[in-house]
Amino acid sequence: MVKTFFLHVEDDSPLINLHPLLKILLLVVINVEAWIIENPLILILIIVCLLLSFKFFKVPLSRIVKFLVFAIVIVQAITVSYLLGSTIPGNTVFFKLPWGTYISDMTLLYAFTVVLRFLLMLIGSTLFLAVMRDVDITYGLISMKVPFSIAFMITLTLRMASIFLNDYFKVRDAMVLRGTDFSTGNVLEKARKYSRLAVPLMVLGVRRMMELTYVLEAKGLGFKRKRTYLYQFSLGVSGKLILIGLTLLIALSIAAKVSSRALSFPGWPLG
Amino acid sequence: MRHVAITGVAAGLCLPLALFAIILIPIPGLPAASGFWIPAGFYFVMTLWFGVWGALGGHIATTIAMGYFFGYTLHVWLDGGIGDLIAPLVCLLVFKLAKANPELKTKRDKVVWAIAVPLSSLICGLWVHTVHLMFGTITWPFWYVGVLTYFIGDSLAIFTVGTPLLKSLTNYVKQSPMYIWR
Repeated sequence: MVKTFFLHVEDDSPLINLHPLLKILLLVVINVEAWIIENPLILILIIVCLLLSFKFFKVPLSRIVKFLVFAIVIVQAITVSYLLGSTIPGNTVFFKLPWGTYISDMTLLYAFTVVLRFLLMLIGSTLFLAVMRDVDITYGLISMKVPFSIAFMITLTLRMASIFLNDYFKVRDAMVLRGTDFSTGNVLEKARKYSRLAVPLMVLGVRRMMELTYVLEAKGLGFKRKRTYLYQFSLGVSGKLILIGLTLLIALSIAAKVSSRALSFPGWPLG
Repeated sequence: MRHVAITGVAAGLCLPLALFAIILIPIPGLPAASGFWIPAGFYFVMTLWFGVWGALGGHIATTIAMGYFFGYTLHVWLDGGIGDLIAPLVCLLVFKLAKANPELKTKRDKVVWAIAVPLSSLICGLWVHTVHLMFGTITWPFWYVGVLTYFIGDSLAIFTVGTPLLKSLTNYVKQSPMYIWR
């Protein structure tokens, strides 16, 4: 099993050993496609294919279901927004609201389409992030000619977050031991209590910043000569073909969107 | 070297706070929004102390935290991510233009802080909800609600968290070589 950001994935998964550049590009492409495609039928088709590919790529879907539950939050946000605040003309108007908006058959369909677009991004991103190791972020960004310091910065952030989470609990527990009750009071009172955690947390943060500067200096991060790397990744023939395929996919999608209504909303004749 | 440490630590510090903010005070009907954006208090202060690198830390933290709930998407990066990069930079710009001191010792500094924070929050709120609107995740009526709640929620969080930090810790941070006001 290989440890990635979110979970452990079988080491014979075809996606695990993919070049880091391709992993990041796949992430970008699936998001861009969700912006281009508006046809709900095509969106459903891609989402089903993506869900099936979890099995094919040996990524444990069951462990990601917990993460996907958060999708409910976005679904309610989109639904509330469209039901209460849109004026999309349709064949039937179901309900007129006092502030001038209305709910038509197209309102429901369009809200559903926007939900599908977001789900496509969420499921696609989850699939590719499930096979992303911290090494992939650093090397993938370097392959895209992003400076090493920026790639390292992103990896550092993810490491630091878990350290500060521990700090947060330590400081909070210390305040509880001194008599602070975080569970009582209204929202504003609670916010004020939590805001008092800010000063000790910030002191710890500034100290870490200074220590880290010396550590990075000692490890030669600011060294100006050409950097060498522990791992070597090669695209190979199949990798190059995937790269060309991804580029063509984006180009063809844009061309199809511009030249025909196949990818546009609603994507079929309404009659 | 310093900027890597500033951004890495700023983002690491803001990331768990952003996760808490979304979980504790979500806003129904507005994706990835929180009524009290706690990390803003931190990255605004860090931007005033350490410049662009502090803002970049907030940007990375927001993008990662919002992505955790709403997917690591281009949309999340474009609205909340970029929005939270613009806001502290506007505040820094106002401070630089007004030649104010982040220690907030004089009345003038306090007035600049009182103007810069709502102005930055408003600009950020406009950016975030216009991106939402363009993508189609919200509609016009919710654009107004969104901008207003963003403006109030962000300003409140920055004043509540940021003001004590600036007043009590600027003198301490001055000792570090990363401090930009010399």
